[in-house]
Amino acid sequence: MIACLLIPGFELRAALRARPRLVLVPAALAPEAGEEPLLGPVTATAEAAGVKPGMRLGEALATCPSLVLVDRDPAAVEKEWEDVLRRLEDAGFAVDPVEQGAVVFETRGVERLYGGVHPALERALAAIGSTWDPRIGAAGRRFTALAAASVARPGQIVIVAEKDEQAFLEPLPLSLLPLAADRYAELEGLGLRRLGELAQLPRGAVAERLGVEGRKAWRLAHGGRRAKVRGRRPVSELAEALTFPEAIANELTLRRALGSLLERLLARPERAGRPFRKLALAARLVDGGSWRRAVTLRDATAELARLRAALGPKLSELPAPIVELRLETVELAEHTGQQLALVEPAGEEAAGRLREGLRQVRASTGTGSVCAVVEVAPWSRVPEARALVVPRDD
Amino acid sequence: MVASSGSASARRSAGRLNAPRPALVETEFDGTPRVVNRHLVALVREEWRVVDRWWTEEPVDRRYFEVVLESGQNVCVYRDGGRSCWFTQNA
Repeated sequence: MIACLLIPGFELRAALRARPRLVLVPAALAPEAGEEPLLGPVTATAEAAGVKPGMRLGEALATCPSLVLVDRDPAAVEKEWEDVLRRLEDAGFAVDPVEQGAVVFETRGVERLYGGVHPALERALAAIGSTWDPRIGAAGRRFTALAAASVARPGQIVIVAEKDEQAFLEPLPLSLLPLAADRYAELEGLGLRRLGELAQLPRGAVAERLGVEGRKAWRLAHGGRRAKVRGRRPVSELAEALTFPEAIANELTLRRALGSLLERLLARPERAGRPFRKLALAARLVDGGSWRRAVTLRDATAELARLRAALGPKLSELPAPIVELRLETVELAEHTGQQLALVEPAGEEAAGRLREGLRQVRASTGTGSVCAVVEVAPWSRVPEARALVVPRDD
Repeated sequence: MVASSGSASARRSAGRLNAPRPALVETEFDGTPRVVNRHLVALVREEWRVVDRWWTEEPVDRRYFEVVLESGQNVCVYRDGGRSCWFTQNA
């Protein structure tokens, strides 16, 4: 079975670990700097006072003037989440994190060890501990497991048998689907509120009206695809940090510090010559907050100049002067050499590379960002009537 | 080709390729361009007219000029007869 462990409002819970007294007062995670002023997760006391996650800051403060805004602490959140994942891994589960606060794992490998699905899931809950209020949903498919976890109470395990999956999903709200806000509004405008209502519509009609996203949502409303859970690769422990005697914000100093950290990281013998695939740059801010940015390299590399070029621009995103800069290895690549091509790729190989390139563009810029030029009237004397630019999502 | 990922509506709809863009054009007495987008015209290479779709509600009446600017750049501009304004376009 596929199980999903959910810790709602994980970012807020992790940020409050250092300030536990705020758990009992109306508090909410502050909006991200430079983003729309929308609240993050809120405490139970704040919710009781009428404040909801995603509410506009002004509206929330008008509803509850005593609301405390908790600064985001991405470094602490990352550390706590890694701790949660390791505890599950220590209990024998191969975890596949979905996002911070949600992780999926397969129970098949440990069912015999713990004596069944339920005891195995109880072991997973016990490994996390009750302080995080975790809940677990389990089902034959990933989306159903996630849906089951989202309706479970803290500390509860909800197991959905394969034959009951469709009946279980039907009354659940559409908000469980991973859709953009305007899509929910569109679906609500069409009178759809529940997953069952969407699942009853013909697949072709949904795809025609809502496009690729609609097709995916329709498939999820039917339980989603049957896919195996692949456990994550063990995270590397390599990290280097530099603590400054006083707060610094000067870009030149920051870049020099980054260069020094890179040199130290590249010299670590544990790397065994392997190039970096993903690195994270974290900083402790002068006001006590933290900042973290992860960078995935297109080609794994151990070249100092390329690493500098990839990580350097991230330093300009620092929101305040810092007292500590930290460089962490998130993932190392396996290979130690790069084979150069003797012959330029052509035919199927070139087409495959192009497809992969377009997939990456789509992943970073969103649906509809890749377009094709379609000739509609190449004979026309009016130049703009000859061709159209049409979004291509296949 | 990769389009701008600006607005959500722009991301979904098909767009026209080679759409005309407004241009700032000063003309000679005979209507030929003298200055295009603040650059002096060195030479008018070609001139032609496009009159089309006169049977629709959006008739096309354009006088095209292919010009070479003093900077050496080749530019194609046209005067829209219906709206009496200038545009640049790759014809």
